[in-house]
Amino acid sequence: MKSPASAAKYKALLGQRWPNLSGHLVVGLTLALVTLPQAVAFSVTLAGVPPHFGIYAAIWGVLFCTMLNPSRIFHGGPNTAMSAAIGVTLLPIAPPFGAEYMGYALTLGLMAGLIQLLIYLIRPLSRMLDLISEPVINGMICGIGLFLIFKSLTTFGGLPFNTEVEWPLWIAWQSFLAVLEIGNIHAIEIGSITLITCVIARQFEPLRNWAILFGIAAGTLYSEYLSATRGLQNTLVEQIGNLSSIGPVYPSLPLFSPETMPDVVAIVPGAITLALLGLFQTVAAMRRMNRKVGGYSDSRQAIFSDAVCNCLLPFLSSLPTCASFNRMWLVHQLGVHSRVAIASSALWLLLLVLFLAKLIAIIPMPAMAAVIMLLGANMINWEDIKPHFKDRREAVVFMGSFLSVLFLDLFGAVIVGSVLAVAYSKWEQAHPNISVTGNVLSVRGSIYYGSLPVIESMYHGVIEREGSAVIDFSQCYYIDQEGIRWLAAAKAGQKASLADRRRIESRRELERREAADRKRASGRRRKRDRRQRSEF
Amino acid sequence: MRMLTGKFTRIVLLLLFLGGLYFLATHKHRQREETRQAPVVLTPGCADKLGRYGLASADYYQSPYLLQRTRTSMKVRGYSDEDVRAIQRGCNIVDDTQGTLAKDKGLERWNTTRFIRGSHASCDHCHQGIGDKQDAAGNRLKGSLSLGASWAMADMYDRFTGLLLPYELRQMQCYINSSNGYKPNIADDVIRDVTAYSRFLSAALGLKIGNHYEEQGIDEIAASATPKQGDDYVRGAALYRHKCQGCHGPQAFGTEANGRVVAPALAGPNAWNMQSRNYFHYVSTILPGFICRNMPLGEENTLSNQECRDIAYYISNLPRPAGDRQGPLMALQQQMLMAVMPPLMRLTGSGRSIEAPAPER
Repeated sequence: MKSPASAAKYKALLGQRWPNLSGHLVVGLTLALVTLPQAVAFSVTLAGVPPHFGIYAAIWGVLFCTMLNPSRIFHGGPNTAMSAAIGVTLLPIAPPFGAEYMGYALTLGLMAGLIQLLIYLIRPLSRMLDLISEPVINGMICGIGLFLIFKSLTTFGGLPFNTEVEWPLWIAWQSFLAVLEIGNIHAIEIGSITLITCVIARQFEPLRNWAILFGIAAGTLYSEYLSATRGLQNTLVEQIGNLSSIGPVYPSLPLFSPETMPDVVAIVPGAITLALLGLFQTVAAMRRMNRKVGGYSDSRQAIFSDAVCNCLLPFLSSLPTCASFNRMWLVHQLGVHSRVAIASSALWLLLLVLFLAKLIAIIPMPAMAAVIMLLGANMINWEDIKPHFKDRREAVVFMGSFLSVLFLDLFGAVIVGSVLAVAYSKWEQAHPNISVTGNVLSVRGSIYYGSLPVIESMYHGVIEREGSAVIDFSQCYYIDQEGIRWLAAAKAGQKASLADRRRIESRRELERREAADRKRASGRRRKRDRRQRSEF
Repeated sequence: MRMLTGKFTRIVLLLLFLGGLYFLATHKHRQREETRQAPVVLTPGCADKLGRYGLASADYYQSPYLLQRTRTSMKVRGYSDEDVRAIQRGCNIVDDTQGTLAKDKGLERWNTTRFIRGSHASCDHCHQGIGDKQDAAGNRLKGSLSLGASWAMADMYDRFTGLLLPYELRQMQCYINSSNGYKPNIADDVIRDVTAYSRFLSAALGLKIGNHYEEQGIDEIAASATPKQGDDYVRGAALYRHKCQGCHGPQAFGTEANGRVVAPALAGPNAWNMQSRNYFHYVSTILPGFICRNMPLGEENTLSNQECRDIAYYISNLPRPAGDRQGPLMALQQQMLMAVMPPLMRLTGSGRSIEAPAPER
């Protein structure tokens, strides 16, 4: 047993290490309370698995991510788009909430984790994630936001889940009409009360972070009132159900057997989508939040932590994890950027689930659907979208990405988004800024196979007009092999001469600096390689 | 102050929006409830069938069909007024899915047309005899997709997905598997009423729950049930001209008279889509089975297995809508084909020989 003196010593040490520990714990509690309804709603309404999947993702996913990711603002756990992707992938394979479905959900998560690990190990692949531009990410996020609203419509109206998965817009319209005509009026009332309470609470700054909790409390109270006055057998409002069997850990195994192999193969595209969706969001969220708080952390570390987490979580009955925009935003708003606070949120959640399971069980599903609709609406943030409409090309990329979520599936959206992003940057490079003064052709930009046709047309125009041309490429920052060959051919043709107007000293200086940079970079790589070897 | 006004406006707008939706929902619910309580105007076919089967509100039900055929009939639990109306509405939906005989098809047929793209498809086209096809002697026919026998099958495993499907879910599958449609919600009245009608049919015919009757489903014809000549487009086209074109039209786009469907479309925008199980290249045994046992009307069971497969093969090569999961590009391609092919065939004379009058049936 420790003596009072040593306890005081530990307390002092703790105070020295984390001077504001109680503040961190309060932030952790807030985060846990916000995460709980999300975790339950994502797993039940979107992914089609029991609530403990989302809860374990919010406990173990958050803990693992906090341990592996050095960022002080990163909050992992269950994610809307990933949960929706699980539902979309598995609905045609097996009936939701069944044993097979859950097994496939774990297999899907594990496959996604392994794909993410592969992306981490193949460096150019992980670097590719940085090439997805902001309009593409925002377009996808808005599309997914709208998708979430549509997806929750039937649950909001207390109707059974329709297993149709294709043509989201068409189905949304049909679901809307179904809610109006045959929806459960009590469910619509509960959903509306939840929605109104959430929105009203969000208008007051001190209540803003508690809005979801207030909404769910209001919806649950009304649902309990209805049950007490009319009886649950008459209101027929679906509730979350019993969570009392949830313990700290619930080991599980993904479903791999010879009989299930055809289905496992069928969900591989879904696993790739899931892996990419997770990493896109993680990288994008890290990038945006780092810029917000003025810090920097390597996105590869986030990829590594996501990949390892997602390889482990399927063995703990958990949904896959990735960064959560809304919860990271909350961490930022609460002003405590600390891994202790984030880790404590997972522990708080575990305590809540262990001791308040009976209270969680009576939360009505329409209230959950209302929360998901609100989160979906929050993902469509006009302030984020507005800048994209100032530039036509950005607007096209944004709209392409946004519409592809609604008209294609999520995998199609990832492909369209990636192609658009690459095409966007290539288009930019393919149109260098070329000015003609007399017979001098000044090229500012890249000389490569894509931009050569543009440069050639101008060059031949000058040759026709002036008889000869001077190609000034002092402001070029990239010339590929095809460009070099074209320049050499133009020079050999006797009609063109090349000019590099940079002063000789500055050129030498530049070359010297480049050589030093190269040396330093190779030294850094060697050191990192050594360090990585020692770590493993 | 301005911020406060903004917040207030936001809350008021949300309240107005949700209030409006709630008002609309309660209005629609009331409208549906009134329709449920209103007396049902039967189609001529349903009036005849339900009259023959003695449907009436009473404490017990005794089937006149069984009494006539077996001289014995058990008394079973009867139907309330509400049950009778549901059965009548269900019969109307099966007989006249498109609602051409209804005054208000939205309410009287529970918006069934919303779940079917195109203006031809009707339950009665496959489930002939309003879901209860019989010969002149009153014998039920093999492979005639009897709704009563299908209800008696209760839950069954879907052969393709392995899912255990109760009758209601199988009914929902009809909309995507046999037409170019969209599944209604399982809680929709349209599902409930057709289930009530099917259940009544099984009682009227004396079918026992859990049994498999030969009139249930399709008597599928696999390639192994033929002389193994292979399915042939040219043979199929020739057979189509002689056996089917008279009713279904030269390009199988169906025929209509006075706004009513005489023979449904087998191809084109009003037909089933490329992911339907009627589509030969998706499931090659169902359409030949249907043709052999149910077509041509009045001459059922006269075509050989190979002939049925050839006709099905030919029909499935004609342009039709793409399935929903085939994506927007395929949908666009099929829409273009359906728009371009008919005038092109007329222009090139491809349809000339087809337009020759069909032999009398």
